[in-house]
Amino acid sequence: MKINIKENIGPRCIIKEDGQKIYDAIYEVLKRGETVTLDFKDVSQFASPFFNFAIGQLLKDIKEADLRHLLHIENLNETGKMVVERVIENAAKYHGNKDYRKIVDDILAEQAKEAN
Amino acid sequence: MSQMIIYVPRINDGPKDFAKLFNIWTQVNDYEQHVRFDFSRCGFLRPNAVAFLGGLARLVESRNGTVVFDWDSAVNPAVHANLCQNGFAETFGSPFSGWTGNSIPYREDRSKDMNGIMDYLAYNWIGRGWVHVSNRLRDAISERMWEIYDNAFEHSGTEIGVFSCGQYFPHNDTLLLSVVDYGQGIPAKIRTFVGSDPRAQDLPASACLRWAFTRGKSTSTGSVARGLGLDLLKEFVRVNQGTLEVYSNEGYAIIDKDGEAFENRDISFEGTVVHITLRCDEKLYRFKDET
Repeated sequence: MKINIKENIGPRCIIKEDGQKIYDAIYEVLKRGETVTLDFKDVSQFASPFFNFAIGQLLKDIKEADLRHLLHIENLNETGKMVVERVIENAAKYHGNKDYRKIVDDILAEQAKEAN
Repeated sequence: MSQMIIYVPRINDGPKDFAKLFNIWTQVNDYEQHVRFDFSRCGFLRPNAVAFLGGLARLVESRNGTVVFDWDSAVNPAVHANLCQNGFAETFGSPFSGWTGNSIPYREDRSKDMNGIMDYLAYNWIGRGWVHVSNRLRDAISERMWEIYDNAFEHSGTEIGVFSCGQYFPHNDTLLLSVVDYGQGIPAKIRTFVGSDPRAQDLPASACLRWAFTRGKSTSTGSVARGLGLDLLKEFVRVNQGTLEVYSNEGYAIIDKDGEAFENRDISFEGTVVHITLRCDEKLYRFKDET
């Protein structure tokens, strides 16, 4: 499957809602083990919310190694590539379960570290 | 009809100036009825004040109050010109229209208008020619700045939208943008988010802001990993030797090329101000492959 992002979304890949559209179009294809190519030709602007939902979200159910093998990205400029890498790295570490006590522990620990 | 008169003082963009703004917020927040802003004592007004006062006016109106800006009281010519040039005066009923100059227009976004905001950032702010950047770099900078708006709409809980204003200062070749929301504020949002922990309400605002600026940290619930926007913005500001300041509740954060600092202040307001200063030095604004 190949998706021309500019035709489907436009020249700006910014908001999460547009990212969700891409996710919805490619998820089942990837789950079946088929390749997907996202062509970003003439897309000029990118932001993390779009990629969080379009690509990062895939890592809930697809291992990172499999995703990198199946998902091909074309014509993405350097800033877009950097954001995608950051999104994948972030999503790969995300577990989804919010341990509020641990979050408070982390907040207070960082504060204590800075105070010393 | 009784009316509260707020005399707008001289307002620059240092911490004491923001304290003046938050004092005004406190006065108006407690009153909530009919407010008149008088500029007779104002000798100087920066865009952070314009964005803040605009949002404050809409906040009063959202609570069924009324707001009047006394344009005749703006006797200082520079203040009057500034309020008119950036379109603020016209937005609030003055007959004077805005015009193109060193101001970046005052803007209200009631909802997340992605194309409107990105056009504003790309063509009214960074793309105005004060710093010569390639289209690619202009777009890259606008993308980072978008994260401010996205955070405001996604996380603040603002019911009246987001308010922006900026200016180019030729004397020191700097470009400013202030973005204000009257949502709950970042520390308050985090305390609510972790509210099931008994320590939540005692979390210092400074610690909450530090957490918010850490890569991967987010109060979003759900299965999609978030929390990259503020970190990306922080990175951009530091690489370009700019300054990013955030005032939210009683917390204050400053990020610049020397590092970052998070503090608790004595005065608070319910909302968030993001104040960015960029240097218009072309040497700072090039991709590695642009010579």
